[in-house]
Amino acid sequence: MSVNLQSRVIELRRNLLALGALVEQRVSSVIEVIRDGDVDLARKVRAGDAEIDQMQLALEGECMRLLALGSPVASDLRLILTAMRVSNELERIADMCKGISKRVIRLVESGSYRYPSALVQMIEAALSMLRDVLVAFSNQDIQLCLEVRRADSYVDGLNREVVAWAREWIEQDVEKSGAAIELLAIAQRVERLADIVTAIAEDTVFLVEGRLVRHGLE
Amino acid sequence: MQSESSTTTPSQHAHGHSVELRAVSVASTPNTAHSDTAIKVRGFSSWYGSFQALKSLDLDIPSRHVTAFIGPSGCGKSTFLRWINRMNDTIPSARAEGTLELHGKDLLAKSVDVVDLRRHVGMVFQKPNPFPKSIYDNVAFGPRLHRVYSRAELDQLVERSLRQASIWNEVKDRLHASALGLSGGQQQRLCIARAIAVGPEVLLMDEPCSALDPKSTLAIEELIESLADRYTIVIVTHNMQQAARVSDETAFFFEGRLVESGATEAIFTKPRNKQTEDYVTGRFG
Repeated sequence: MSVNLQSRVIELRRNLLALGALVEQRVSSVIEVIRDGDVDLARKVRAGDAEIDQMQLALEGECMRLLALGSPVASDLRLILTAMRVSNELERIADMCKGISKRVIRLVESGSYRYPSALVQMIEAALSMLRDVLVAFSNQDIQLCLEVRRADSYVDGLNREVVAWAREWIEQDVEKSGAAIELLAIAQRVERLADIVTAIAEDTVFLVEGRLVRHGLE
Repeated sequence: MQSESSTTTPSQHAHGHSVELRAVSVASTPNTAHSDTAIKVRGFSSWYGSFQALKSLDLDIPSRHVTAFIGPSGCGKSTFLRWINRMNDTIPSARAEGTLELHGKDLLAKSVDVVDLRRHVGMVFQKPNPFPKSIYDNVAFGPRLHRVYSRAELDQLVERSLRQASIWNEVKDRLHASALGLSGGQQQRLCIARAIAVGPEVLLMDEPCSALDPKSTLAIEELIESLADRYTIVIVTHNMQQAARVSDETAFFFEGRLVESGATEAIFTKPRNKQTEDYVTGRFG
């Protein structure tokens, strides 16, 4: 089993990075969706979610098979445990993209789509974090993981700017409260997306060093 | 358990048939400085003739824990196990140097009475080896060698040992039947009961499950777990999962050297040494 386990662990890693690349494309599309209010692209992002769900299920199933049949230990065990978590996290990022796209479609179709530049900066920063964390995972780069963690606070700061902007919008035109709330829901999803990327960075630390660094623990 | 560099001046010992046996009990009140360490090993090397089988081992084996020795065939783990109860005395070309102590007592000293030593350091082998006697007599054999027991005392001792070895319920109605009629798994548990009966402190197990089916293996592993709070157990196994399941500490041997030792959890999740990583993940060995 051990030789087989090794080749299957390598394939698992490759498939996880393929899922990561696909999710990265989704987030990249969501930048255009937000920036341009591109409804057609938003619909494509929503429709593509099923593909990611399928990939995630396949990865999780493979992880369970390897755990049950391969008796993995050490780096193999850490990779499989990490792949289970990270595949789930990537799928949740794709869900965030789907939710953001749904709200942009609704806002654009209602003719009340406006957004502050901080929102685009947020999603761009989140994409940059996601790219970095996938590189960190691939190269087992702990330093880059720590940088990703730090970048999360930058996204949080931008989120506060979006909240302030929405508050001002409501104060200026109370009839736009509904649209402002939708916009805040979009920002909240982007902020959550960055949190999930941070969790992937923490999982990568476990992969490399066997250390649990969640919940602010070093 | 940790590897440390030796500060002890190695003393040379030579063992063989000619070793003079003198009654020196090796079991004593543990030295307070070693209260958590049952077996202390420093700079320990051994040879079979000119072949060096073990190379300057440094290791502390903790009391009342299960320590697993792992490593590929020929790495020296069984050789080391055999030094702990002086089984290598039967090999004329075997010799050792360095420190090997049980609670501060030098196990290599010529003055050690190996019969007495083996009462304190029991051994269970790969293949169950019950005597061609009744179940009762197998367990009673060791205690009878050491002193005279009344029938009632011996009955109690046999029952207690069989209970501790988790085989009492299976054999209580046929204590005087031949031990050879038991299944392989039962025979191995009987051998453990036989080892326990003389009141050892340390139990050495050399691949105790390798000849057993999965159910019997599980029974032995559960037994090891239940015995660990009373005995210091050292188990040699080729089964990585067994080492991971049953032991608290693991020591990885390779080519006569102790490569890495530490908490089993650490060895099987994040070993420090690449050789250990490669071995436990099946990349070599």
